[in-house]
Amino acid sequence: MDYVYTILILIGLFVILASSFDLVIGHCGLISIAHPIFYAIGAYVSAMLAKEGGVPIPLAILCGGAAAFVSSVLVALPSLRVSGDYLLIASIGFQLGLIEFAKHIHSIGGAGGLTNIPPFLVNDYGRLSYVLLVLAVAALTVLFVRWLTRGPYGRMMAALRDDELAFSMLGRNAIWLKVSVFAIGSGIAGVAGGLYAHYFRFLEPDQFGLLQSSAILTMVVVGGMRTTMGPVIGAIVLQILPQAITFFGLPPSILGPLQGLMFSGLVLFFMFARPQGLIAAPDIWAGRKPKAGQRGGLADG
Amino acid sequence: MVEVLKVSGLEKRFGGIVVADNIELALVEGRVLGLIGPNGAGKTSFFNLVCGVVKPDAGSIVLNGQEINSLPIRERARMGLARTWQNLRLFQSLSVLDNLMLGPRDYSADNLLNVMLRPGHVAERERDSRDRAFAILERTGLTEIAHSPISDITFGQQKLVGVARALMNDARCLLLDEPMAGVEGQAYALIQRVVRDIAASGVAVCVVEHNVAFIRDLCDEGVFMFAGKVLARGSVESLIADPLLTELYFGT
Ligand SMILES: Nc1ncnc2c1ncn2[C@@H]1O[C@H](COP(=O)(O)OP(=O)(O)OP(=O)(O)O)[C@@H](O)[C@H]1O
Ligand SMILES: [Mg+2]
Repeated sequence: MDYVYTILILIGLFVILASSFDLVIGHCGLISIAHPIFYAIGAYVSAMLAKEGGVPIPLAILCGGAAAFVSSVLVALPSLRVSGDYLLIASIGFQLGLIEFAKHIHSIGGAGGLTNIPPFLVNDYGRLSYVLLVLAVAALTVLFVRWLTRGPYGRMMAALRDDELAFSMLGRNAIWLKVSVFAIGSGIAGVAGGLYAHYFRFLEPDQFGLLQSSAILTMVVVGGMRTTMGPVIGAIVLQILPQAITFFGLPPSILGPLQGLMFSGLVLFFMFARPQGLIAAPDIWAGRKPKAGQRGGLADG
Repeated sequence: MVEVLKVSGLEKRFGGIVVADNIELALVEGRVLGLIGPNGAGKTSFFNLVCGVVKPDAGSIVLNGQEINSLPIRERARMGLARTWQNLRLFQSLSVLDNLMLGPRDYSADNLLNVMLRPGHVAERERDSRDRAFAILERTGLTEIAHSPISDITFGQQKLVGVARALMNDARCLLLDEPMAGVEGQAYALIQRVVRDIAASGVAVCVVEHNVAFIRDLCDEGVFMFAGKVLARGSVESLIADPLLTELYFGT
């Protein structure tokens, strides 16, 4: 049963990651794959606050999210002011640099990893309670992204993707929109990191590298960008497939590379065979329906 | 005669190409200025310079009495400067209505804190914008296609959507880049009337157009541009009657 709970928690966490990443890359069109580093920042900050600072765990998790939010602004603001293309380089540099840096910081466990992170809920209420917590946060994340992207903020994201110059000429602030969406997505990833840390109780820098970047990207691409359920389905499929492979009893030396190959294979397959993903987003931005009795319009609610 | 926009000593060159050569020009409240000249004269470049899309090499641009040279595009728009684009630049993944909804100087969701914490306030602003958008769609004869995607409407309608979107700004100064190019028959009178109404409400308008009859019917005054220079200013009649200018225009 514990195995099933662990899988469910991982699915929930990756739903949060994929959905918040879709907000950044799908809805806002920001090219960055450094999502896992904000997951890591949330995880480490929350773990250290709880472990060394004695901060209550729910508060520590929120602080982890806030730390991810703030650091993402610091990465995005200078690079987006230069040009949109620069964000990809700046954020990957930040991701890989911070991972290397963390390996040399003794107080957070270095390359060997941070152990004995205080647990949350499980000892008092059992593993199921943690599963429910993670799934609830996942559901909230999916609903929040849906709400934000179907309201007037989402209309701005659609317009920005189409034509940044025309967007600016209407008086809209493109840089502010990009930075704020990047920060929201990264902040949510940070909260997921805290949830990860207090369940698995062990963190090591290398797990937040490019392999995880490609896993999250694959989930969004396979599931379908800019759809509510796409990242959810992508996270489920991509979490279950690797587990299923382990049942064939292959040796670990083959299993690891095989899972990596599977991610790239899936992305390639979908890029050619079904670029829109399992669920296709509509061509035209669909806002919330106006309330009854109002004049016909697409946005608002 | 209130000068809404005043440009002086404006200079710009792209490598060897001079697109603005000491331009002195003012746009006046309530009047429509026609900007004519051959291809490559620098008409669109003039709009780009005024809007901040292109940075001038020298000169000053004053809007509502304030120098705006160092302001970014969005700040100029928020001061009441609106334009259309020669190549339309409509948002393809938005409906006609949603293209307009993004146009007010103050957009409902400009402030993220309001979006998160005051959804009722944002919803109210959205309703106001939608009412304004429908009023403008009606004026421009686009009500029927309010919910259509841009790719589903005719080129002439797309041109009108560009104008309608610019009108959402409630601008003090409106720049129209070839509103008639590719537009068929009946829209002619419609665009004429819309632009006249806007000017009558006190807006300073500048229209770039190759359709000389359109410019003659619409504008209070005309300016002839060539190689980045303002060569002549006067009634459109007098400009098109000038054999020298006609020769430059047709390049014969
Ligand atoms: N960003 C740019 N970089 C380099 N050259 C440019 C740029 N923008 C415009 N030009 C050049 O400047 C000249 C003037 O262009 P502009 O678009 O202002 O002409 P125009 O008067 O609007 O012509 P048309 O009637 O064809 O629209 C052209 O030769 C054009 O190629
Ligand atoms: Mg032009």
